[in-house]
Amino acid sequence: MSQRKPSLPPAFRLADFRPALPGRHWANWALPLLVVLGLGIFPLLTGKDVHRETMFTLLRAVVMAVSLNIILGYTGYVSFGHVVFFGLGGYVGFYLVAVQGRTLWEALLAGGLAAGLLAWLIGIGILRLRGAYFALVTIGVNEAVKAFIQNFDPFGGPLGLTMNFSVYQAYGGPRAMLQMTYYILVALAVAAVLLAYAVRTSKFGLGLLSIREDEDAAEVMGVVTPLAKTWAFVLSAILPGMVGALFFFRNGSVEPHEAFPLHLSIEAIVMVMLGGQGTVLGPVLGAAGYQAMRAFLLTNRYLKDIQLTVSGALLLLIVLFIPAGLIGWLRRRFPASRRVLL
Amino acid sequence: MKRGKGTLWLGLALLLVLALALAACGGKAETGQQTEGNEVVLTIGYTESQTGKYNVSSSRQVKGLQLWVKQINEAGGIELSDGTVIKFKTVSYDDESSKDRVQELYTRLATEDNADFLISPYSSGLTAAAAVIAEQYGKVMITTGAASDSIYKKGYTQVFQIYTPASRYLTGAVDILQKADPELKKIAFVYEDSKFATSVVTAAKDYAESKGYEVVLFEGYAPDTTDFGPFINKIVGSGAEAILGGGHFQDGSTFARQLHEEGVPVKFVALLVAPPEPDFAELGDAAVGIVGPSQWEPQAQYTPEAAQKLGIEWFGPTSKEFVDAYVAEYGEEPSYHSAGGYAAGLILEKAIRAADSTDPAKVKEALDAMDVLIFFGRIKFETAPEAHGLQIGHEMVYVQWQKDDQGNLKKEVVWPEAGATAELLYPKP
Repeated sequence: MSQRKPSLPPAFRLADFRPALPGRHWANWALPLLVVLGLGIFPLLTGKDVHRETMFTLLRAVVMAVSLNIILGYTGYVSFGHVVFFGLGGYVGFYLVAVQGRTLWEALLAGGLAAGLLAWLIGIGILRLRGAYFALVTIGVNEAVKAFIQNFDPFGGPLGLTMNFSVYQAYGGPRAMLQMTYYILVALAVAAVLLAYAVRTSKFGLGLLSIREDEDAAEVMGVVTPLAKTWAFVLSAILPGMVGALFFFRNGSVEPHEAFPLHLSIEAIVMVMLGGQGTVLGPVLGAAGYQAMRAFLLTNRYLKDIQLTVSGALLLLIVLFIPAGLIGWLRRRFPASRRVLL
Repeated sequence: MKRGKGTLWLGLALLLVLALALAACGGKAETGQQTEGNEVVLTIGYTESQTGKYNVSSSRQVKGLQLWVKQINEAGGIELSDGTVIKFKTVSYDDESSKDRVQELYTRLATEDNADFLISPYSSGLTAAAAVIAEQYGKVMITTGAASDSIYKKGYTQVFQIYTPASRYLTGAVDILQKADPELKKIAFVYEDSKFATSVVTAAKDYAESKGYEVVLFEGYAPDTTDFGPFINKIVGSGAEAILGGGHFQDGSTFARQLHEEGVPVKFVALLVAPPEPDFAELGDAAVGIVGPSQWEPQAQYTPEAAQKLGIEWFGPTSKEFVDAYVAEYGEEPSYHSAGGYAAGLILEKAIRAADSTDPAKVKEALDAMDVLIFFGRIKFETAPEAHGLQIGHEMVYVQWQKDDQGNLKKEVVWPEAGATAELLYPKP
């Protein structure tokens, strides 16, 4: 980064998404993409519904973690309330399908847009805050949106919304619907990885990284930090919003306390940390590893009654011994891997 | 050289993916329908909230169900007319009181563990998610601990509800009031802003209005409310003579205590969930006169004689037999959640006996045709497609805290009159 001319244009432009540094190794984008595709294709190979459902949970986490990483890992801002985008997208999408009779596609689009819009509004409002203040406010935002929806009658207030089973007939019945929503999720996960890669390697992304390292310095060098942070926040919100729309469509009902559970945000942070924040591949591996471990412990005959204890102990061990996350550790341990691992 | 390294890393990544995938599959359990001689072992699948906020209610529900499984297996199972003997085993996972994995776990139960029948998780929200899966795989699911009406109005055909639906939770309280004091006309509804309480009071409000009551206050409070002062002022200001509402245990008992402390001059108070709990007695004098709906109470008079009067069949143990067996097994009194869990198993047993088969389609038919009285109450399911599986036979029982001659607090059943153990204490002291 030091050889580059540090000044960045004062406004966010699409041109900023062009790769900033030439000569990236192809594995930088191919590895995370291959992992996501590998996970996505796995249930198709085995043909088992249960693998599809396990992978659904897993890929949902991948999208959440990879998206969160844009604001958390690249920009260095901890968002404790990231689930607010998942919940809001879920609500908006569900409302369109269940009440307005729109299609799932419109719901996905609207869910993503609503989440993006909320992120933009929050961003211009609170992204001037730094560090712990920002983290605290994100929790507040999650609670505020939840309280708003709890009192918002078109969304059913505290009752939430339910959808008639017959809606699924338009998508070939429940069986085909479950299959189709899975493919959509795989596509969203691929999109998340490509977006994360594009941001990470772009001029815009370099601006974000410089904010993470030293915000004042970045500002002096010409990065319009509030704007860059806001856009990073928006980009990290859209895909969780779409996944929310998809998840609640599948569930057939949505309620305020299910749409905004704080623990999902915390889990997403843990996944990003496990894999290695600020990297592209890290959150993918972190989310996949974490969810695979949880799924295994929950359903293992011998461990299922003590699954929380075991997963807590494992997390503790990981944090103790590889605090930089998996990718951070690999990059440090094997310097040669730095070219391929991003 | 670069290429070689790249391939190495690719290989490593693929290996990792494979390892993760294998881990996700977990161990293979020996479940599903197993036949040995003329004995068939059926698998019942469910999730339990071993962790999270539903933990207490859910584990009681599961204890009830497990007691039924144990009893039926010890009694030699169910013998069908062709000589087949049916026994049961259960498979369960922890749903963590969260919707996150409910569909994944129920898919696992339906496809990997080959569960023959499913029991719902605890709570309406989790059950709504599980019902989609039950429906998809054509598995009969008996729901217990899931009172919301909306689940059964979504077009499902395989889901059968044991509990009295939320829409009828408090309507009985209106009936009690009408019987006790035909002159009283002004009611206030003060309730927790949650899905459950809101759906209950909305239905009760409509019912009260249809009975000619004037609803002078209809106000929700946040679930974690600890100071009911503003609401009490509003109640007094509205001139209400009766209060209906509440939500869950914590807020309900606080509300009752503050009503007592402020000396609010109302004649009748009925609250959700909190009054049937034994811990409610800790309120002392504040508990006296408070009425509450319960899905089941040990004293409720559902007996073979009552069945005869109703002209329907009696099935299973009496309340006393159930309570004794439960206490002997777990060393604690059963709550209505425990009774609900046991009842879910019992209804499944009844359906299998009536169908004389384990074929899901035949069992479903038997459930559709069922009209039976068990210790838990009358069980009959709606069969019209717009609300298939909704419970229409079961009635809530209403308890009231009263003082006996020695001044000790006692929980008495006051409604329905047929099952009452004491007269209603009216007006509330």
